[in-house]
Amino acid sequence: MYAYDTFDRNIIDARVAEFRDQVERRMKGELTEEEFRPLRLMNGLYLQLHAYMLRVAVPYGTMSSKQMHRLADIATKYDKGYGHFTTRQNIQYNWPKLVETPDILTELAEVEMHAHQTSGNCIRNTTTDQFAGATRDEVEDPRPYAELIRQWSTFHPEFSFLPRKFKIAITGAGQDRAAVKWHDIGLILRKNDAGETGFEVIVGGGMGRTPVIGKTIREFLPEADLLSYLEAILRVYNEQGRRDNKYKARIKILVEALGAEEYARLTEAEWQKIKDQHIDVPAEEVARIKAFFTPPPLPVLSDDVPAVDEFANQNFIFKTWLDNNTNPHKVLGHVNVTISLKPHDGIPGDATDEQMHLVADLAEKYSQSEIRVSHEQNLILPHVAKQDLVEIWKILDANGLGSANVGLLTDMIVCPGMDYCALANARSIPIGQAIADRFDDIRRLQDIGPLKLKISGCINSCGHHHAGHIGILGVDRRGEENYQISLGGSGAEDATKAALLGPGFDEHGIVDAVEKVVAVYLGEREEGEEFLATYRRIGAAPFKEAVYDAD
Amino acid sequence: MAKKIKGPQLIIANRLDDGRVVFMTPDGNWTADVARAAVADTPEGVEELEAKASISEKNNLVVDPQAVPAEDQNGAFPAHMKQAMQAKGPSVRPDLGYQVSHTWETNASEGN
Ligand code: HEM
Ligand code: SF4
Repeated sequence: MYAYDTFDRNIIDARVAEFRDQVERRMKGELTEEEFRPLRLMNGLYLQLHAYMLRVAVPYGTMSSKQMHRLADIATKYDKGYGHFTTRQNIQYNWPKLVETPDILTELAEVEMHAHQTSGNCIRNTTTDQFAGATRDEVEDPRPYAELIRQWSTFHPEFSFLPRKFKIAITGAGQDRAAVKWHDIGLILRKNDAGETGFEVIVGGGMGRTPVIGKTIREFLPEADLLSYLEAILRVYNEQGRRDNKYKARIKILVEALGAEEYARLTEAEWQKIKDQHIDVPAEEVARIKAFFTPPPLPVLSDDVPAVDEFANQNFIFKTWLDNNTNPHKVLGHVNVTISLKPHDGIPGDATDEQMHLVADLAEKYSQSEIRVSHEQNLILPHVAKQDLVEIWKILDANGLGSANVGLLTDMIVCPGMDYCALANARSIPIGQAIADRFDDIRRLQDIGPLKLKISGCINSCGHHHAGHIGILGVDRRGEENYQISLGGSGAEDATKAALLGPGFDEHGIVDAVEKVVAVYLGEREEGEEFLATYRRIGAAPFKEAVYDAD
Repeated sequence: MAKKIKGPQLIIANRLDDGRVVFMTPDGNWTADVARAAVADTPEGVEELEAKASISEKNNLVVDPQAVPAEDQNGAFPAHMKQAMQAKGPSVRPDLGYQVSHTWETNASEGN
């Protein structure tokens, strides 16, 4: 795991001191709210529906047990005993006091955490595959590059006031678990024919009111040129991105306006000017950073562990959990365990302070003191020996964290919606809960198979509904909550935009609509076919008919 | 804050120091208990409340005070969904919002 040097340390300490001073000046009235707002946003602090909301970064989704314990302590001491893990590998606290926020940031800094780049029109914290460095289907660990990007972009003077927020995601695996094509810049680690490492570079993806899938502007960028090339992409955007209209300010709009080829041409031209200006760090520095991400020394064990199989044969829930919640590890005899934060009756992404402590303890004992956060709002124990699985599951299950639903319909992404968010048009969480209630039976869920359901409470799309196999969007229809359903989206390597099926429903109607959609799929699927494949094969018509014409 | 006034209004804001949702009381103070909010029925009355609110804003007590439509639900209550949510707290955590804590808040401000 990356460890701060003196330079990193000094930067974050200075920033916390500066913010403490700014809060004091605000309280004394030396700063108006208008002057203060951008300053607090630079420190991850929003003013939401009920209170302030603090968004803390978990850079590239990796943290230590010690850091997780600290997140739990902050939830206890400064909040109401819980936190919310988001799609951007952040944790949000919903009730911090402004006057205590500098203390929270101080306590975070003590464990090398911060809230930089979690809000405002800057380059946001880079997200990645939750299994990075641990999964079997990986070209290379993407996190050293994410760390490089972090160091380059944190407080980058030229890119601190971009036309709009800017999000970068990177993956090193064949299976895209980071939704890279839905980001302003998406990077995929690749090897060329000579076996050298580089990146496919994708630009102009994003959700919101204008959902766009990013386009590849370079098939192979050598590893050594990463930062100068990113700098060139951002320069073009910073110069030409629209600032007159907030809704047209994202890079996706510029890429659409210019065309991806022209964007690529402009980027290359800018890059030729700057690529020899030493923006890229020398190979030794890359090697130094990579050294922090050296895989833990795990013993090679057998992938066959009879005791686990035996227990699975006796216990259907455990077997389901094993099937859904574990991912093959690079090292034989090991897996990555996903802890579902979607328990029955829960709030997707929420974890209590006790649960955070429990996960941190489990990580100390079973996963090299390492924890990951996924963009699907779950927690992961990487590097787990298969022989420990029964014990881990028993502990999780006894503490309400044993849900075996990872990848299934109830493992949904749900944004905070009007229960917390000042921008919302409708509530999201209760809809998620009502759907989870209807699909409560794990055997039925398992039969339905992989299905990604995603819910947003407004067009900003924090809940990724555009990328949902089933997407739900809450809208305001004359003061009433109304829910639109769309089908066929994907956030994976085969990224597609979900298509609106038809008019929306009230909160009960939407649950019935989901049920009808699932019924059509079950009736139409061919042997071994998953929901998305069936939808792509048969199209929207049968679903539309079932949802709108049935009665 | 000038805008067309339709029907009874109350003033909602966030307290600066802790961000909590508060409502203006008839004496120009702030409470987390919506039932104690001042309600103005006339444009002049609303303007008067708004004037008091903007003094609180200048004195750095609250952020973003707004007059919002109110209705009677055994006491004042916001008529629109978003502010109703603010008055109640998150619907998905009845153990948290003002349903629970405004009692404490009210008592505290009254000194018991
Ligand atoms: C409650 C506080 C939140 C606020 C005020 C907020 C605000 C916004 C806004 C304004 C946008 C649209 C940006 C644009 O298109 O330019 C947005 C997009 C987004 N937000 Fe949030 N958000 C909140 C919470 C969350 C949470 C909890 C998550 C994750 C669960 C999240 C993840 C995202 C994502 C992934 C996008 C899509 C970005 C894109 O590709 O356009 N946000 N958010
Ligand atoms: S999608 Fe809308 S309602 Fe949901 S968190 Fe984002 S801004 Fe808020």
